[in-house]
Amino acid sequence: MSASRGHKNGNYNKYKKDHSKLSIGDKRKELEEHVDENNKVIQMFRQYTLELDAKHDRYERIVKLSRDITIESKRIIFLLHNAATDIDKKKEQIYNEADLRLNQLIEKNFKLLSIELHGQDPYLYLRAYTAGLQEFIEALLYYQFLRYGSIEPWKNLITKFQYSISNSDNHNDDKTNTEVCMTVPPMEFFLGLGDFTGELLRKCINSLGSGNIEECFQICNYVKDIYTGFLRINCSGYKDLGRKVYVLKQSLQKMEYACYTIQVRGSEIPRHMLATVVNTVTNPDVGHEEDEGFY
Amino acid sequence: MSNIVTTEIFTSFQDYLHSEQNIREEIRQIVKEIEKNAREILTVLQVIHQENSAQEISSSCYKARQLFEEVQSNYTKLSEVVPTGQYYRFNDHWKYVTQRLCFLAALTVFLEVGILVSISTVAEILGVSTNSSEFHLDLEDYLMGLLQLCSELARFAVNAVTSGDYERPMQISKFVGELNAGFRLLNLKNDSLRKRFDALKYEVKKIEEVVYDLSIRGLKPDYSSKTNIQEKGTE
Repeated sequence: MSASRGHKNGNYNKYKKDHSKLSIGDKRKELEEHVDENNKVIQMFRQYTLELDAKHDRYERIVKLSRDITIESKRIIFLLHNAATDIDKKKEQIYNEADLRLNQLIEKNFKLLSIELHGQDPYLYLRAYTAGLQEFIEALLYYQFLRYGSIEPWKNLITKFQYSISNSDNHNDDKTNTEVCMTVPPMEFFLGLGDFTGELLRKCINSLGSGNIEECFQICNYVKDIYTGFLRINCSGYKDLGRKVYVLKQSLQKMEYACYTIQVRGSEIPRHMLATVVNTVTNPDVGHEEDEGFY
Repeated sequence: MSNIVTTEIFTSFQDYLHSEQNIREEIRQIVKEIEKNAREILTVLQVIHQENSAQEISSSCYKARQLFEEVQSNYTKLSEVVPTGQYYRFNDHWKYVTQRLCFLAALTVFLEVGILVSISTVAEILGVSTNSSEFHLDLEDYLMGLLQLCSELARFAVNAVTSGDYERPMQISKFVGELNAGFRLLNLKNDSLRKRFDALKYEVKKIEEVVYDLSIRGLKPDYSSKTNIQEKGTE
């Protein structure tokens, strides 16, 4: 048996040898295993690797930054939902905290982001930070709405995102500051605005729960205005925007129905019961499609 | 009161979208022209797959070069339309045609001198800047073009054998082998480039099979001469 095995092996080796003589795969293998650094193609690709890696790394760093912004923005929104109390002092306190945290985001996280984007084409990395940016805009608008009853336009927003960064770490050198600006395409602002109306829906239903009916109507009217504004815009070709407007319409209809219920049945149901009634009426066809867990 | 504010906000947004759409429309028109050029070049270069086309190759390369001049002027037009620093905002429009042109430029250079063209040379052929802050050639588009080149070369290898050119597959095999080794150096993400690269191994295999077929039949140029001597020796 051993003999036959030996025979087999011998044969195998022979074939292998023959094969290797003829094989042209060897050349490729050689190329792969011993990368010839003097080869022009290899040198070229070494350069491309550097470029490609730099881009991928930057992209990942931006995704990370964006994620931090998203989380903090969601927390701020949650905090603001808690501001629905009658005690003015507590309200003020929450507003101040939200303001502080929003400013921190601008001063810290967005500054890092804009440094990362400095000298780059921001549109190349837009997909990496669009989520964080939209969430931030949502939080900011919600804060502005709660505190001042109105929102600031896009133009005011971009003025917040201007930083000057000193070029030299060395304090002795005379500092040459570079103006760095965070790019916020208007589209992002309006996508954030769409999300913001989702928060208004929550706020509207919540205020119903706390018996603040006046506010409920007020918010509903405000969202009506926003919806009218969106209708003016031609959304064709902008998938994201179209989707946001669709969701906005649904939210608005829920609010309108809530207001209708108050008007029709408000006199026959005690105030504290209204919220339950409205919820049972609006929720069945709504399902649980809320995008975030904060209710 | 709030109504006035929101109206103002939305009006400016509408204007913004409107101007963006105008730019996109202009870009689309120019890209259409470039696509037409690219198809013409591709047609011209298809001569390589014809039987006994060896003599015509250099003249079709020359024709392709002339067509690339039109491409250049179109890219110049495009670069004037696209606002500086917003290359990637509109990049989708010309991405595919640029990849195709990278492939065509690389093929032309391969046919002319048999070497792999560098990204800066392709940028020159297309008439775009190499500076990434201007209207430039995206690295990934260039690499995508090279991968397209490989599948064209795999086809070329087969057809070259048909028309009796046994040197060509050897050259292609070496060329694609080097290119493959180069691509292996890249750290690709799980994106379209990666997917396209995964298809490269089948093309490499196809080319190797052609070379193999030639080899075992003693048709491989340098090899056959060697075996002839050997055969004579043993006889």
